[in-house]
Amino acid sequence: MQGARQAWWFAAGRLLATVAVGLICGWAFGNAWAGLAAVLAGQLAWQFANLFRLDWWVRHRSYADPPEFSGIWGEVITQVVRLHRRKRYHKRRFMNLMRQIQRSTAALPDGVVILNAQREIAWFNRTAGHLLNLRGSADYGLRIDNLLRQPQFARYLDEARYENAIILQPDAGNDCYLSLQIVPYGEGQQLLLVRDVSRQMRLENMRKDFVANASHELRSPLSVIAGYLETLAHDPALHEDLRPPVDEMRRQAARMTSIIQDLLALSKLEESDEVAEGGYIDVPAMLAMLRKDVLARPVHPREVRIRIESSEMLRGNESEILSAFSNLVDNAAKYTPAEGAIDLRWWVDDEGAHLSVTDTGIGIPQEHIPRLTERFYRVDEGRSRATGGSGLGLAIVKHVLQRHGATLHIESRQGVGSTFTCHFPPERVIDADVQSRAAG
Amino acid sequence: MDTADLSHHISRRFNEDLERVRSKVLAMGGFVEQQLQRAITALVEGDSSLGESVAMDDYKVNDMEVSIDEECSRILATRAPAAGDLRVIVAIIKTITDLERIGDEGEKIGYIASRLATQERPADKYREIKHLGRVVSEMVHDALDAFARMDVEAALKAARQDRLVDEEYEAIQRQCITFMMEDPRTIRRALDLLWVVRALERIGDHAKNISEYVIYMVHGKDIRHTSLDDVERALHDGHPAGHSRPASR
Repeated sequence: MQGARQAWWFAAGRLLATVAVGLICGWAFGNAWAGLAAVLAGQLAWQFANLFRLDWWVRHRSYADPPEFSGIWGEVITQVVRLHRRKRYHKRRFMNLMRQIQRSTAALPDGVVILNAQREIAWFNRTAGHLLNLRGSADYGLRIDNLLRQPQFARYLDEARYENAIILQPDAGNDCYLSLQIVPYGEGQQLLLVRDVSRQMRLENMRKDFVANASHELRSPLSVIAGYLETLAHDPALHEDLRPPVDEMRRQAARMTSIIQDLLALSKLEESDEVAEGGYIDVPAMLAMLRKDVLARPVHPREVRIRIESSEMLRGNESEILSAFSNLVDNAAKYTPAEGAIDLRWWVDDEGAHLSVTDTGIGIPQEHIPRLTERFYRVDEGRSRATGGSGLGLAIVKHVLQRHGATLHIESRQGVGSTFTCHFPPERVIDADVQSRAAG
Repeated sequence: MDTADLSHHISRRFNEDLERVRSKVLAMGGFVEQQLQRAITALVEGDSSLGESVAMDDYKVNDMEVSIDEECSRILATRAPAAGDLRVIVAIIKTITDLERIGDEGEKIGYIASRLATQERPADKYREIKHLGRVVSEMVHDALDAFARMDVEAALKAARQDRLVDEEYEAIQRQCITFMMEDPRTIRRALDLLWVVRALERIGDHAKNISEYVIYMVHGKDIRHTSLDDVERALHDGHPAGHSRPASR
């Protein structure tokens, strides 16, 4: 800065000196103005020459060192060169950074596709290209849903619920499964993450097949055992001492049968994770039937009240919904003492349809609630064995509700009672009038 | 300045319209592909409920065809497209007809699959059908990929597969005839299977048609009823090699 100011003072001084010399020489020769004009013309020519050299350097040789300039021109050129170098340095740094980021993303074992706001492919790494069968830069600018045409994927994009990944089979012929997830970022841009989950899916399928086959295979020997126990129990020649163990064996055989039935029901529900479409379900009629079932039990709560607050119908698979609701009502009946009561409530509001089952039973400790829907999860080992449950009831409820896009909400206070509420989305609700008109 | 801006605006809206219809066609194609694959799975695995649901879902394909058709008519009426844009619309209208027919054939396979599921399944024969089904679904998939990418080379390659499908069709047909002569009790089932194979062969033809529309859409050449070798020669002579993107549009 100091140098620059000095250079400017020096340049100004030199200009003044030149003008003075011109004036004096001109005055000496008799015409002061002609002398001034001559030195100014000389000055102008010098500046013009410098300007020309500068322009030539900027145009053709800017990568090389600048030519030698004297005076203020040298100062300006030094500044220009400094700016230029700094820019080039930053540019190179950014390029390196970009290249490193691209290289590291390209080397990721997971596929990454960058989509713009129109869902057009902006960039993808090698793994994504390999997994999704994309072709080099020729596919840039194509819409991703034009190449991944599975209706499931289109639905995923439309629903825009990106917190979960979806599993797709890009080619039905082989056992390749991909997990796809959209991660929105920036302004409307999206990142599509692709992972090959064939191995996990194969293991999962093996597990499901094993459970289904094992339950199926256990069923026939068990029915033979149960059949003989039945005959034994009714045999008058049976020794009195043996009667209690035989009865206990019958009870346990019945319990095992119900566990196997529930396991088979669960594996059937797991087999297809498609949204069950089905027909129209008259929920009030179903609740009335369930109430009758509860009251027909040898030991049952004193009161089972039904509150129907709307006449809308539910769209879904009737047998699945029935098994879910009856599991909820059964549980309530099991854990409610004879002097207690069960309340069933069905209502519809802006958020959809809701069914709640409230009992005045023993309640569930808070810490167990999140894990209740796990298979064979027991709040209290002794209690569930006494009531003869299979431990799969709530798992079935959860699966059925999932297939219908519904959620289960559990509220409970120990010693006061529990409320199980199913929330169905609005698109599952059908106006009863519309339905009867359509039918008629 | 104002008029230029307006015309730019209109053409952008038009491009968006065109792009949306194209995406709808590909979405319909995706659904048809799924229908076809589910129908073949239903047959091979003897899953009668899957076969029935394929047959039940065919109405969705029809709905999509109607809606795309209407949109194309609207574009033709309001925008009066010319040259490349007009070819795109014409190709789309033809493509959805073929897709709808593929859907119908899929429905037929699904229906037969649900009926055959109750009968005993011969292990070896379905393997041939499974293989043919795989070739045909790949053909449909490749044709739609070529449509999405406007890729002439890929379209030609997909169209070429039709010969393989025809050969397989002949082979399975001969095999069925042999079975029927050996054991007349299998005639009923063999006839049903012949329907399935015939449907698959027809699907191959429709996929070939779709590939041909892609070539028409990109180059403006109608190559129906021309041998593929001639087509390839003509395309490569008339255009620089590797040219696979539309010049207009």
